Amino acid sequence: MTFRLTCPVCGKRDVYEFTFGGQERGPRPTQEGLGAEEHFRWVQFRLIPGEPREEWWYHGQGCGVWFRTTRDPVANREVEGGDGDG
Amino acid sequence: MNWLRLRRLWRPAPLKRHYDTVIIGGGVHGLATAYYLNRDFGITDVAILESQYIGFGGSGRNTAIVRANQRTAENVRLYEEGLRLWAVLTDELDFNLMFFNCGNLSLGHSEASVGAFRMLAGTHNFLGVKSELLDPQQCAEVIPGLDISDRPRFPIQAGLYHPPGGIVRHDAVVWGLAKGASARGAHIHQGCEVRGIETDGGRVTGVRTSLGDIGCNRLGIMAGGYSTAIAAMVGIELPIHPLTIQAMVTHPLKPFLHHVFSSNGYHVYANQTLKGEIATGAHMDPQVNYTTDATAYYLKHQAEALVELMPALRGVRFMRIWAGLADMTPDMAPIMEGELGWDGLYLDAGWGYFGFKSGPVAGKYMAEYMASGERPEMLKAFQLKRFLENRYSGETAAVMKYGHWD
Repeated sequence: MTFRLTCPVCGKRDVYEFTFGGQERGPRPTQEGLGAEEHFRWVQFRLIPGEPREEWWYHGQGCGVWFRTTRDPVANREVEGGDGDG
Repeated sequence: MNWLRLRRLWRPAPLKRHYDTVIIGGGVHGLATAYYLNRDFGITDVAILESQYIGFGGSGRNTAIVRANQRTAENVRLYEEGLRLWAVLTDELDFNLMFFNCGNLSLGHSEASVGAFRMLAGTHNFLGVKSELLDPQQCAEVIPGLDISDRPRFPIQAGLYHPPGGIVRHDAVVWGLAKGASARGAHIHQGCEVRGIETDGGRVTGVRTSLGDIGCNRLGIMAGGYSTAIAAMVGIELPIHPLTIQAMVTHPLKPFLHHVFSSNGYHVYANQTLKGEIATGAHMDPQVNYTTDATAYYLKHQAEALVELMPALRGVRFMRIWAGLADMTPDMAPIMEGELGWDGLYLDAGWGYFGFKSGPVAGKYMAEYMASGERPEMLKAFQLKRFLENRYSGETAAVMKYGHWD
């Protein structure tokens, strides 16, 4: 089953209109003193316990806005109350 | 009429409070590991914990295709040995796994993919694995239904024919391995969901489950797409993204498709099952998720792709659609690791959509790893730390359309 995401401009739209942009992980670690291992860990390693998480999405087949929303990977649904106010 | 009574292939077993080795995940990988732990190392005190029923996950949801036409030498060697195991296991387990050695034909639709096929054929032949580059005419000789004209949007430019591959009945593999593991003393516990992992001073000591606590000396996480959630219970971060991948079957047709064919350009693979259905699939939703949701969006895509490549399939109806999880790594190669920061903890995951064909051979080597504590030579290329040393496997070079996921 498909589901809908809340675009801050267009409202609730089918998920296939959007491009997935990845989990929100905070700012990139500062370059100073950043080791290779730490850098690779930041780029690729994740903890995915199955709890709702903040993500980036791009409304490519719509208004073209990048925004953040919260989605539950166990239900594969946007968490209600997600206001998509990236 | 006693001979008519169907009996379960594996024995029900009492749930003990402690096992030497506990394996999380009753799929092909977990069952094979349990089987080889006993066959090769005499370890019988093994429990397999499966939250649903054996074969519920990827083991029963894949499209049953097996092959060894990977890109890198490390992977080709592993999968090649895996291919040879189907016949051996059919004999050893005394259970017909229905290996149909029909060969695989990969189709290329661009200059880049023709180049990749050339490279693949070279690698395979160098390693003694049969693969052959075909021109479009030869492709149509292998599979007469293919449209090799310039009508499709992306016409067929070349094919890579790989005779050692084929299809195996995936349920039979699960049942056969369960039979073999159980006969050798392993306890299979279905409906036993792992909810936590117990540790003591840097060692894994057991698991908390829906059926109570179970102690162990060694713990193997072999839960396919759910492995990331289980590793998270002990705070292990992994470069694995579980994604939903969909597959479907048409209604049965007379036998006409005698090989597996796949196309990276159209992102589709298909084969005709022994029942006559066309089993097909390939697509993944890009967002990390633990569901097995199927969507109308991909049903439509799959129909379009199939008809484009094989026009005679127009009007054939899909009967069923389902989905499973693919645990994707950044370099399309698995992670088989015993150095995870916890003594006694092992991980066999990140197989992406190669988990079924590798099941028995992965189990064989994971059993060696878990029994000896020493990493087998075959698994040197699949360490977790390769991602921290910027030594990614070159496997992605074999895949034309390789997306970003996160």
